[in-house]
Amino acid sequence: MALAKTSQKFNSSISAFTIGTDDKTVTLGGENVLPFYTFDAPIENAPKIGAEISDLGMEKNVPGIRDYYAGAKDFSELAAKAAAIPGVDFVAFSLDAADPNGENRSVEECVEECRQVAAGTDLPLVIIGCKGTEKNEALFDKIADALSGRNVLLMSAKEENYKTIAASAGLAYNQKIGAESAVDINLAKQLNVVISQMGVKPQSIAMNVGVAAAGYGFEYVVSTMERVKMAALSQNDNMLQMPIVTPVASETWNVKEAIVSEEDIPEWGPQEERGIDMEIVTASACLASGSNAVILRHPASIAAISEMIRELV
Amino acid sequence: MVGLFDRVFKGSDEMYALAEKALADALATHDESTPAVFPNTAYYAACIYEYTGIKVTTLADVKAAMTPIREMMTRNYRTHDVFTSGIATSMAAEVIELCKYLDTDTPYNGEYHGHMNDAEVRELGVPLVTRDIPGFVVIIGPAPSEEEAEALIKGYQSRGIFVFLIGGIIEQAKNRNINMGFPVRIVPVGPDIWSVSHVISLVMRAAMIFGAIGPNQYDEMNKYTFERIFAFVNAFDPVDDLTIACGACAIALGFPVITNDTKDMWKVPKTLIIQEDTKDWIETSLEARDIKIKVTNIDIPVAYSSAFEGEIIRRPDMQVEIDGSRMDCFELCMTKEAHEVEDHKIEVIGPDFDEVPVGSKMCAAFIAEVAGKNMQSDFESVFERKFHTFVNCMEGIMHTGQRDLIRIRVSKNAYEAGFRIRHIGEVLYAKLKNEYSAVIDKCQVKIYTSTTELHDLRKMANEIYDKRDERLAGLTDESVDTFYTCILCQSFSPSHVCIVTPERLGLCGAVSWLDAKATNELDPNGPSQIVTKERVIDENIGSWEDVNEAVAKYSRGALERVTLYSIMEDPMTSCGCFECICGIEPFSNGVIIVNREHTGMTPLGMTFSEMASMTGGGVQTPGFMGHGKHFIASKKFMKAEGGVARIVWMPKALKETVRERLDATALELYGIENFTDMIGDEDSCGNGDPEELVNFLSETGHPALGMDPMM
Repeated sequence: MALAKTSQKFNSSISAFTIGTDDKTVTLGGENVLPFYTFDAPIENAPKIGAEISDLGMEKNVPGIRDYYAGAKDFSELAAKAAAIPGVDFVAFSLDAADPNGENRSVEECVEECRQVAAGTDLPLVIIGCKGTEKNEALFDKIADALSGRNVLLMSAKEENYKTIAASAGLAYNQKIGAESAVDINLAKQLNVVISQMGVKPQSIAMNVGVAAAGYGFEYVVSTMERVKMAALSQNDNMLQMPIVTPVASETWNVKEAIVSEEDIPEWGPQEERGIDMEIVTASACLASGSNAVILRHPASIAAISEMIRELV
Repeated sequence: MVGLFDRVFKGSDEMYALAEKALADALATHDESTPAVFPNTAYYAACIYEYTGIKVTTLADVKAAMTPIREMMTRNYRTHDVFTSGIATSMAAEVIELCKYLDTDTPYNGEYHGHMNDAEVRELGVPLVTRDIPGFVVIIGPAPSEEEAEALIKGYQSRGIFVFLIGGIIEQAKNRNINMGFPVRIVPVGPDIWSVSHVISLVMRAAMIFGAIGPNQYDEMNKYTFERIFAFVNAFDPVDDLTIACGACAIALGFPVITNDTKDMWKVPKTLIIQEDTKDWIETSLEARDIKIKVTNIDIPVAYSSAFEGEIIRRPDMQVEIDGSRMDCFELCMTKEAHEVEDHKIEVIGPDFDEVPVGSKMCAAFIAEVAGKNMQSDFESVFERKFHTFVNCMEGIMHTGQRDLIRIRVSKNAYEAGFRIRHIGEVLYAKLKNEYSAVIDKCQVKIYTSTTELHDLRKMANEIYDKRDERLAGLTDESVDTFYTCILCQSFSPSHVCIVTPERLGLCGAVSWLDAKATNELDPNGPSQIVTKERVIDENIGSWEDVNEAVAKYSRGALERVTLYSIMEDPMTSCGCFECICGIEPFSNGVIIVNREHTGMTPLGMTFSEMASMTGGGVQTPGFMGHGKHFIASKKFMKAEGGVARIVWMPKALKETVRERLDATALELYGIENFTDMIGDEDSCGNGDPEELVNFLSETGHPALGMDPMM
């Protein structure tokens, strides 16, 4: 007997979410099936890849990343190089140096850096804040103003600082907001609810539901993403239908597999390859679990993931 | 006495006439194509733009706007006419102000602020939306004296309220050397009442920017300003008709007006308030506009952090000890009416720490009196239990116990840093106000320290505790209309949902029905959601359609049915945090209960950990169930299977914990005395041999042996 195929597309869909301006926009979400279930229904918008650059520069990275960005004189050139990596859909600029416990770079300097990045590429931008939740309030307020009209995604608003970020970036300057929670579907939903209650439209919110490098409690990430997608699609929960954007690189390039040198553990093989592998396995697992976009660092990882997306969608 | 309607109408006519004159004067010297715009705004003349849709850019546009402005000044003697006339008054005022900006961007030469640009609207708007600035006041003056003007302005400033000044009060503020300007949040808008249009314009633009309200959306605009913009007006005597008409605009937008003018003035509750004593204006205004002030720093001479929670103060380091085991001491949280509570009043009645010898004991009672529209007396005990943590987080202060069995030690270091008993009141005030701002509007703390009064006060407190206990004991599942969910543990146990009822607390033992109720009130989007119980399926086993729907919804479809009182039929699931597990013991026809602390074997041949592995994770395993210790003596415990009479074995320590209440329940349900003694434990059945247990149960005449089989 022949197998009768039934389509399992849902009546609900992930909301479509657009960043960038003019013809250089990127749209995430919109699908009404589980990740890569193209046999049920076409995937409205294929998952997207962002290339991450940092305001600390790229010199401290492995040679493959460092060499790629070598010669960039300022953030504008850094952004142009990131945008030029084949397979990149948007540029993610990470304000690591703003961390009050680190270099504590001033808001004004960070705003200037963001201006440079914006000048360097016309691809859509994602601005990733620093580790200081309070600092991010001030940062995003000024950056949202400075990048007015660029329709950028600011990551992220958390439970502690969502009010200012929603009011400023979301309402006053009409930018997009990433809502970040720590691997818990209820907290993710709650944050979306309270940000929406402030008047931010659900279409202006993306989620970062939390991430870990593969092997570092990653099954929680899978389970959370999977349940978020099921709630969004099968239960039509509109407070969980925001697309998921996952910053993978900042996690995977900090685990021991990516930082221990080959001299220390020769049997693990070359350090850079391990780092790329970590980035690729984590990113591919995130996409398979429900991420609508991943943010990566190594050109080789970006190449591999974009090929994977191309093959599967 | 002239009616309020007539005063508004008269005032709006006056303003319109002034606007006509200003426009005529402008047209006398300028032609119609002269640009008529405020600097740095994308919203034209915002009041006119919002309510007429006209994008004013030239004097010709102003002229065109005059007709719709006049048309809004309707005269049908209904409240609606007062509102539209008030709004039209503001538009007329905007015309007057706009005419000042024809030849210059700075008509006021820095003496007054005048128009606020869009950047300033955003700058003020963000903290207004986040409530970091709790609200703003428009003071229309002069005040009766410069001192009163200063006290009022500084009173608002110290509470974080943004202040706009109009008229004579600006001169008074200058004379008192009050620093003014946008950055210090005191803005002298203009000398005449029509300058109020700049404030209304700011409100309009805030609603357009932050609320996405478009032009010509009268109802949406007024709803938004009422719900989201926390503004109010203070108008000093005498209030003329022009000001009254502008006040009507404020009221249309939902901003109450408070005045001390009594002549031809009409009280409208929560809207137009006559408060002759201007010293009370701040409190009256904040209450009228529902503004709660957040306490940002606690005024104490020692550090405050959860890091100090576990700090021990040893006797040699101790300055003084408040000891409830030896003296009359207690802590109490009481609900009061709003007028009975003066916010942030800390009263110490009796001697302070510096009036008793070093190392001595003293008595003390701490009474926090709270008031709030959403406050319920059921929350008192929930808040009171937090006093322990609140006080313990101070550096150099140790707190144990609750109710009238408290002990507070104050270290010599804290004392030398200036710590006195009123600082405990400061902490209670600040923490209660901040953590429970959803229900507590006002709070005052009374601290009694003299032995004479405390004896009677303690009696009073004990009566309150007794009443609360009675209420708790009387709280049955039947006596309430709602249960609550608790899904706090879903982060690691995704499909588990606790249904918390008065007689069945959360399985972790930490969430009672009252706690869940308070959680729901304080955090409406949080883990505790209301579950109705209207559609009963079978009350005996504790089965409701409503409960099933809630479980299905909050487990996201993983669970479809639970019963609240049965262990065999759709038992409630467990996350993994349970205090106890009860499991069916087939030989005796009963159940054994084992608590987390018990590491030994049970008659089931399994330890707690082994049973836990098949009970947690949000799955239903009939015959096994996780629950809280408190649930053991509940009349709803396994009610479907016959109740507590099924309990055949518990570890000794657990038996002692529940003995008193369990015996009382068994006596009430079955007339059995000392039921706990009939239950086996590790002494009577220590090696996990069920036969040994059955022998013991036969000896004690345990009722389970004669009951129907459970399976």
